[in-house]
Amino acid sequence: MTDVTLREPAAGRRPRRQPLRFVSAVMLVVVAGVVVASSLITLHVIRDQERLILRESTAEVAAVLGGNFTNTKSSLQLLGAIARSGKGHPALFAAAAHSVATPNSQAWVVTTQTGTGLRVTAATGNGPAVGQLLSGARAQLARRALSANGLVFGLVRGGPSVRLVIALGQAAGRGTVVWRESALSPATPVPSTPTSPWHSLNIALYLSAHPDPSALVVTTVKGLPLQGLQYPFRVGADTWLIVADSPRPLVGWLAQDMPWIILVIGAFVAVLLTAVVETLGRRRDDAAALVKERTASLLSTSAELETAEAILVRQENLVAVGQLASTVGHELRNPLAVVTNVLYLMEAGAGSDPSAPMHRHVATAKREISAATLIVSDLLDFAAGRQPILAPVQVSDLVTETLSVAPPPEGIQVIEHNDPEILMEADRDQIRQGLLNLITNAYDAMMPGGGVLTVSTTSVSGSVHITVTDTGSGMSAETRDSIFTPFFTSKPRGIGLGLAVTKRVIDAHGGEITVDSTPLVGTSFTLTLRAAAAMMSVPR
Amino acid sequence: VTGAAPANGAAVLVVDDEVGMRDTLVEILKLHGYRVSSAPDGETAASAAQETAFDVVVMDIQMPGRDGVSVLEELAGPPPRVILMTAYAMEERLRAAHDAHAFAVLHKPFDAMRMLGLVADASHAGQQASEPADERADK
Repeated sequence: MTDVTLREPAAGRRPRRQPLRFVSAVMLVVVAGVVVASSLITLHVIRDQERLILRESTAEVAAVLGGNFTNTKSSLQLLGAIARSGKGHPALFAAAAHSVATPNSQAWVVTTQTGTGLRVTAATGNGPAVGQLLSGARAQLARRALSANGLVFGLVRGGPSVRLVIALGQAAGRGTVVWRESALSPATPVPSTPTSPWHSLNIALYLSAHPDPSALVVTTVKGLPLQGLQYPFRVGADTWLIVADSPRPLVGWLAQDMPWIILVIGAFVAVLLTAVVETLGRRRDDAAALVKERTASLLSTSAELETAEAILVRQENLVAVGQLASTVGHELRNPLAVVTNVLYLMEAGAGSDPSAPMHRHVATAKREISAATLIVSDLLDFAAGRQPILAPVQVSDLVTETLSVAPPPEGIQVIEHNDPEILMEADRDQIRQGLLNLITNAYDAMMPGGGVLTVSTTSVSGSVHITVTDTGSGMSAETRDSIFTPFFTSKPRGIGLGLAVTKRVIDAHGGEITVDSTPLVGTSFTLTLRAAAAMMSVPR
Repeated sequence: VTGAAPANGAAVLVVDDEVGMRDTLVEILKLHGYRVSSAPDGETAASAAQETAFDVVVMDIQMPGRDGVSVLEELAGPPPRVILMTAYAMEERLRAAHDAHAFAVLHKPFDAMRMLGLVADASHAGQQASEPADERADK
């Protein structure tokens, strides 16, 4: 069994102790059931066999006893014949009795029925004397022998001793009974010897159909009654009973222990099989778990790769877009500069009347040039994407400056809630550009109807929040999801870089930009940046 | 045109590889009374500056061949005062321009009034520089 060890599962993934798996448990129960059933069947068969052998052995004992009694009958017939032919010759009778005597024979007696009763007519040994008239148990037995066909048996008690009387009627002529008396000591067990008829058995022999203690003739054991096979058999006119058992298994020790051997070996096999099944099952489970784990890991890696690839593609796209933006921005600035100069020259040549149509046209052209210049700035800001250079910035000052760069169009009211004490760690130019984008977007969202722009600043536990809120048209959820995507725009004019640049700037600061918008109600952007220590001086 | 610096007849060299920019700048400066020359690239500008004493040079940074900053470095200090123009200069070139004591850097597109103001300042500063040095330091 040493080669069957349950492999511990991989480090810590499963508890060390776990119940048997279902299959193993079923296996154990089934095999154990089969083993117990086999053991019981074997036990039953062996007990049957044991009983059968005991019965056969007991029958043999009965046959041997029957044979002995047949000899006794012959002896009694012989003595009867001698008694009839040699009347009155006691010596002859004694000699004949002696010749057929057995070791425990006590007396040989012949009685003859007379008018007054049964009288002893011949006798030898320690028993009734010649001429004695029979009485009691012997008279009863003799009468029964006279009417019976064959041997009759009886026990005669005189004081402590018991005698077995075997009698045969009509053996010495009509009305005669010949019997033999043998001494018995039924209370004393007679040990079995190899020569005794019951040599391998414990027996109790009764002169009765039932194990009646008063009818006990001989026993080999002390503690009566003997529990065992009861085997009645007839001899002559009477029924005898042998009660027998065996001090050792008649089928042999090995056969008798076979059920236990089967049980032990079967239990061992059951445990072994269960262990093997459990081991194989757990290994299979472990392997399956490993495959699952590896597959999941592979899928996850694959997904990560795809994500990384997507990011890379996006980044490459952004780089390409950035290069394009840089080139376009650069190339546009020169013609814009030339046109600006030309407009100046046209204005100079248009005369001094400011209401002249040329002045209006030049003014329109200048506005458009400004718009184009802003777009170019957005493009170049987007393309540049430089790292912020952080310094303490007074937020209220920055907001005021930004608002002065982009003053509100007519119809828009601006409210500032800014605490001059609040400082943040920021790249002033970059954040101003970001704020400018938010503020000009807010203006656009509120035009042409007008509205209220609120810029407020709060400082909470190391963070500065700048919120730009308008009462403009608001955004749908779809628009809100795309506003930070480069070149996404919901405006009729604009190239969709303002918020992309703003977000990139805030990200580069390690800050956060959030948006809250309700269509037809308005939009609120919040920039979250790191606060700066208040005591630092703020260069303007 | 109002608000521009009064013409003082200072000599200005305009350097830009783009003919449109170059011509409009020349015209605007002439309109304001400057004596204006022009050059289409850095090399030509450098040799022109050797031959003629300009008060002010208005020069683009990005040009094929020698760029405006390298010409500025060769001119080695005032006079002439050099105003650089750029559509989109690299940070490094701007720093080099600052180190070489450019008088100002104009980002294209720029308002002509602003350019004229700077040219006037530069020419004025050049005239101040010909006076005793301690006086100039007070400015």
